[in-house]
Amino acid sequence: MKYQVKPLPQVDLPELRTVGKPLRKVDAMGKAVGDTVYAGDYSMPRMLYGKVFRSNQSSARITRLDVSKARALTGVACVITGFDVPNARLVSDMPGQTGQKQRAGSDVPVLASEQVRFYGEPIALVAAETPEIADKALSLIEVDYEPLPGVYDPLEAMKPGAPIVTPPDNIVARWKIRKGDVESGFEQADLIVENTFRIPYQEHAYLEPEAGVAWIDERGAITIRVSTQVVEHFRTIARAVGVRQNKIHIQGTMVGGGFGGKEDITIEIYLALLAKHTARPVKMVYTREESFLAHAKRHPYIIKHRTGVKNNGLITASKIEMISDSGAYPYLSPYVLLYTTVMAPGPYRINNVQVDAISVATNNPYTSAFRGFGGPQACFAYEQQMDDIARQLGLDPLEVRKVNYLRTGDLTATGQVIESAAWLEETATRAMAALGEQTPDYGSVKIGQGFASYFQSYGRITWMHDTSQAWVGLELDGTVTIRAGVPDLGAGQANSLCQIAAEVLGVPLERVTIYTTDSALTPLSGTSTATRQLYMSGNAALMAATAVRNVLLNRASKYFEEDIEALDLADGKAFIKSDPSQTLDLVDLAKMCASEGMHLSNLALFKAPFTDPINPETGQGQVFPDFTFGSFAVEVAVDTETGEVTVLKAAACHDVGRAINRAAAEGQIIGGGMQGLGYGLMENLIVKDGVIKTPSLTEYLIPTSMDFPDIQAIILESGTGLGPFGAKGIGEPSLTPAAPAAASAIANALGVSIPEIPITPEKILAALERA
Amino acid sequence: MQSEIELHHPKNLAEALNLLAHYGPDGKLLAGGTNMVVELRDGHYNGKSLVDLSRLKELRGISKQDGYIVIGGGTTITELIDHPLIGAHAGVLKEAACLFANPLVRNRATVAGNLVDASPAADTAPPLLALNAEVQLMSQAATRWVKLEDFITGVRRTVLQPGELMVALRWPVPSARSAGAYTKVGLRKADAISVLSAAVMMTLDNTGVCVQTSIALGAVSPKPYRAHEAEALLIGKVLNTALITEAARLAAESTRPIDDIRGTAAYRKRVVAITVRRLLTKAAEVLK
Amino acid sequence: MKPQMITLHINGRTHYVALNPNQTLLVALRDLGYTDVKCGCEKGDCGACAVFLNGVAVNSCLVLAGQADEGEILTAAGLGTSEHPHPLQTAFSDAGAIQCGYCTPGMIVSAKALLDHKPHPTDTEIRDAISGNLCRCTGYAQIIQAVQSAAEKMDAGGEG
Repeated sequence: MKYQVKPLPQVDLPELRTVGKPLRKVDAMGKAVGDTVYAGDYSMPRMLYGKVFRSNQSSARITRLDVSKARALTGVACVITGFDVPNARLVSDMPGQTGQKQRAGSDVPVLASEQVRFYGEPIALVAAETPEIADKALSLIEVDYEPLPGVYDPLEAMKPGAPIVTPPDNIVARWKIRKGDVESGFEQADLIVENTFRIPYQEHAYLEPEAGVAWIDERGAITIRVSTQVVEHFRTIARAVGVRQNKIHIQGTMVGGGFGGKEDITIEIYLALLAKHTARPVKMVYTREESFLAHAKRHPYIIKHRTGVKNNGLITASKIEMISDSGAYPYLSPYVLLYTTVMAPGPYRINNVQVDAISVATNNPYTSAFRGFGGPQACFAYEQQMDDIARQLGLDPLEVRKVNYLRTGDLTATGQVIESAAWLEETATRAMAALGEQTPDYGSVKIGQGFASYFQSYGRITWMHDTSQAWVGLELDGTVTIRAGVPDLGAGQANSLCQIAAEVLGVPLERVTIYTTDSALTPLSGTSTATRQLYMSGNAALMAATAVRNVLLNRASKYFEEDIEALDLADGKAFIKSDPSQTLDLVDLAKMCASEGMHLSNLALFKAPFTDPINPETGQGQVFPDFTFGSFAVEVAVDTETGEVTVLKAAACHDVGRAINRAAAEGQIIGGGMQGLGYGLMENLIVKDGVIKTPSLTEYLIPTSMDFPDIQAIILESGTGLGPFGAKGIGEPSLTPAAPAAASAIANALGVSIPEIPITPEKILAALERA
Repeated sequence: MQSEIELHHPKNLAEALNLLAHYGPDGKLLAGGTNMVVELRDGHYNGKSLVDLSRLKELRGISKQDGYIVIGGGTTITELIDHPLIGAHAGVLKEAACLFANPLVRNRATVAGNLVDASPAADTAPPLLALNAEVQLMSQAATRWVKLEDFITGVRRTVLQPGELMVALRWPVPSARSAGAYTKVGLRKADAISVLSAAVMMTLDNTGVCVQTSIALGAVSPKPYRAHEAEALLIGKVLNTALITEAARLAAESTRPIDDIRGTAAYRKRVVAITVRRLLTKAAEVLK
Repeated sequence: MKPQMITLHINGRTHYVALNPNQTLLVALRDLGYTDVKCGCEKGDCGACAVFLNGVAVNSCLVLAGQADEGEILTAAGLGTSEHPHPLQTAFSDAGAIQCGYCTPGMIVSAKALLDHKPHPTDTEIRDAISGNLCRCTGYAQIIQAVQSAAEKMDAGGEG
């Protein structure tokens, strides 16, 4: 074993009855037997089929748009262009329930009518009696383009005289951090290490392409049944369609994979417009190829690190420059850039930090949210930088990190105090230990082990004043109903609320039913993004269930003639803790409460910490509620003749705070880890002059069952998170360290590092030649 | 947009040939459909009459006859993997079959379909070339055997004439003193299109002299082909590392690769040399 | 294009349908209400549309409906219900093998195809058997555990 495993501090987490158990998730069986009706599975009577006509130019002026032949085609119900809906614009900004200010210049025309800025930009919508007729109608739409100069490289886009994607300039966002004095930090340094890292696009490649059905209901509301991470988009859609907010009703479905790709508005706006214009139900389902064209990608970044270190590895100064490619429209680029900025220096205690980050518009595919939200790009850069520092100082990678790892009570680069556990060495040594002894080299095959540590926020940016609501009620037969607007992406978003309520109300999980994801009928719980649902809605459910519990215990205390503190709820009964044989069935207790007019339900609202925005000049201030910490370790075999890489072992160790459902937490860790390994080693979105050259799952390869070994999931529970029962978030963090860990292992095998992912066989051969 | 087509389901081979004769160049063959149905969806075959071969029993079957292994053109890739004769007499083909796309595709895709599709990266071509396979082309008028080497003429081009279909393939049962090996280099470990692939067969006599060898390459030229110059170097010689390395170099030299989204021409050429060297070494080891 | 009459026997029900010759089995099944058969790529890359056609697991997106005329088709929903699930459906639910669930029906079809021939598969055989079924959520580990656990249960119970 390479490292001594660092002992954990003493943590006393009480054993709970439901929380923490690897129970069958409430959504699982419906999916296993095919009962779950996904967005594309739903139909309505008299339904039309919608299609989108898209630009086949990356940068052009539309000089003529003629849809008359398409409109005249028998079976076509309507064709809509931007001229028909001049006010249909989407705020490509952080969506949601909190009504934060719109950023100037960030709105996107739903349909381009004057200029197209990226390949695949929507120009017209068609609704027809059959998908075939809709396809035929698309082929009858005539457009003339006058090509405009395009810009496809963010560095070019920043130069004077570059084509401007949208006036006034190509700078979409900037963030800065100024902490301490980097110049004096560099003066104290024994060594200065400089590197430039390039981190690429990533395609979400969820298995379910975007889909939905919309209709106008009996109250005149446009109802949209759609696969989305954000039901709160009803507000933006109302504005774009020109109706009142309470006349857009979003029924979110089980999401067939989101990963951030269904965080921005996808097809729901087209469905709303078509339903409104035809007064008929309309269905729209993307093909895989259209899904690739239509939704955002993970941001490519160029990140430069300049780090001053002492001979023992202590970092004295960190100066970081970052450029991200936002593509043709901003969408969430400014926020993604903020995440990358805050996390830029890594989970290290550094007194002198300077970060300058810019997001730049190009005519490339637009970029926005993807699991990790800028964190993985930052992590790849800071962890490769740490490895290079260790190499140049002749120190072990863990030794260099240990000197600098953040600890509880330390300040981040933006001056935020780390208040929860920061188990970095604990997770790094465990992940590495899980790899075991290193496999020996054989023939031309070199073996290497490496790891990466990270910190990643959970919960939204604190100045967005995030809230979530949940309703919990006890029925008279002792079952529990939850209502919460959470979109369920399969990560256990809904199930966690059920396990929490089951714990608090002392019923088995099978007795809990949850109704979710309805913008009109379930209390709004906010977005299933930002690793926030367990933290936010979990706390809301905990508050609501606790309120109901208190009602029950109050009544039970009269019944037993005991103090509330002497009582507990479990297995569908109230009982006296000191004498568990004395019980009162929950059904009887519920009836007593009901007949006495006691309230057996509660709607709770949980508020995240609310802060003011950070200082724009220094970046100082609180940005996130808290962070998750962890490490990922990989052993690779590299064929030095062909450049092929085989991952032999992988292990991930994260402090999840508290696992609400252990199997679900492991599922996040393993699944996110594999997405990260895919990002680092395989996934390669090739874009040339704004056109995706890998436009389907034939060309854009994601990991199969044969590609990587089982990722060993090591769950630590510090109990120090802000979520229910001390939980932190793990959805996004699980992905962040995997690619840099794989890169570290490869560098360890080869003795030469590759500052760019995906690390393809050809890059390995090129690196070996350079070495 | 989907192609507008006619679809015919002949009940037997004679009916199929009759339909093909009738439609001539407008008749297209539909076997396992794993390529064709995708191309239909993409609108590549408007106005064509498709003749569905997927249920013709005459095109199935694997047997040993007169010193040949004979397989029906409609044999699926899965049937290759499962059949003991292939494992026993064409291990190199079985290896390729096991790496062909994925099990769901292998259950439908046919050997003839893979060859008639004539992709430079056709997975069954290098092992079948290495086995000296011939293909049987049948029309209503005539039947002919064509060496597989001569069958594929370029990128998606073959000598198959309108009215003809590939009913069977055969190759001589390799000698007991022969061995084969196969490698596919792809960008992931399953369900990948080849960056390059190579298959070798080798026969040594009892003094260790190489009496026969074939080196077949895929995805490094407009068509899968045999590297004859490299093969010729080895014939009549006792193999050693230097000789094998030189043969591998000649094989690499014979390639005419392109740059595409899967790899550069330079990478392909370079790795062909390594792959062929390893395959020849492996086959020679087995025969030691 | 003239529609053709075809007969499909699906999960024990018989349907007589008129379909255009370019219609895939995938679209035909979904239009008939068998929406457990998922559409993920229509190119055979993802396996979400896998069904049994005459006992053989295939991508229904790569089969024209006409090629399946008179065929026996079994989809994942035909294997069991939430009241009476197939051991694979139970094992997938219990092992954490289901996240978004979109790959699950196809994955279960491929797993059943394996267990039909190899009741005691190795992990490697399971990996190979599901290598045409992409899952973007789980990282596969819990799926492989689920197939192993179903194999054990089916062996013990003589089910399947």
